[in-house]
Amino acid sequence: MVDASGDSKSILLVGAGGIGAPAAWALALAGVRALVLVDEDAVELGNLHRQILFEESGVGHSKVVALAEALGREAPGLDVSWFEGRAAPSTVAELVGRAGVVIDATDNFPTRFLLADAAHLAGVPIVHAAAVRWQATVLGAAGHGKPCYRCLFEDVPSGALLDCATAGVAGPVCGVAGAVAADRAIRILDGDRTAVGTIVTYDGLTDRLRQIEVHPRANCALCGAEATIGTIDARRYTNAVTCE
Amino acid sequence: MAAIVRIPTSLRVHTSGKDEVSASGATITEVIDDLEAHYPGIKTKLVDASGVRRFVNIFVGDEDIRFLEGVATKVADGVEISIIPAIAGG
Repeated sequence: MVDASGDSKSILLVGAGGIGAPAAWALALAGVRALVLVDEDAVELGNLHRQILFEESGVGHSKVVALAEALGREAPGLDVSWFEGRAAPSTVAELVGRAGVVIDATDNFPTRFLLADAAHLAGVPIVHAAAVRWQATVLGAAGHGKPCYRCLFEDVPSGALLDCATAGVAGPVCGVAGAVAADRAIRILDGDRTAVGTIVTYDGLTDRLRQIEVHPRANCALCGAEATIGTIDARRYTNAVTCE
Repeated sequence: MAAIVRIPTSLRVHTSGKDEVSASGATITEVIDDLEAHYPGIKTKLVDASGVRRFVNIFVGDEDIRFLEGVATKVADGVEISIIPAIAGG
């Protein structure tokens, strides 16, 4: 792990894939000072249609290293650090605690809930961005604030899901999700309170972009009045997920 | 009563690719039952024995039905219903 000094204006980007790459590009060119990348995967040929900063010559190489190198070319003044690995219960507090804002661009539900919990417990704002097939969603949550990710999606899904990363995704839809996520992250760092508390949905087949207010859920396990999640318990993030 | 139901891409396998369908019912329960009658298999993706699945959100207009009357939420004629499932790809 390259040293990532704590910086209230730094952005922790978890997931250097289809959403992470365009988000990172937008953030870098917007003048964000510091970016910390987290991903455990290597670049694959099938990634290139949506992970637009990677080249065919990078196939097989670490995504975070390849993305850091690409960002270095695009924005030489950007301070890029990385952690080549998964955001895990044992590492997430240290990663999240250093950030001014977190962008969740991951491809699995356990990590999404792990990041949501860790960010809330650390008081760090977080932007959750996801895309499957022709649909994207982006949700911003304030640090320690309400509503949070669990207000909308209560717990790690188990059993058959509507969809997941293996369902495939249209590259441009990832680009929209990444751009909206970057927009939210920049606005959060700028103190814009309207950047949180809503979910943006995008349908790439109808070009329909919509923003809906998310209400805090009174019995939310993370941010409700009688919240039950006060620590990161690894057992909470292990539910098996099957795809259709 | 007929509502306009916005179908997320992940559920369009049940609606022959339609992104928007019309469904009848005075409540969300009745609308879902009507959807199931016309698009078999969609109901189990939305609800289970305890109600709306935890990782699915249903909005009537801009309001989450969890903050209204849940599946008993009344549906006005012509209202737009949106289904927003949790997704985790990227």
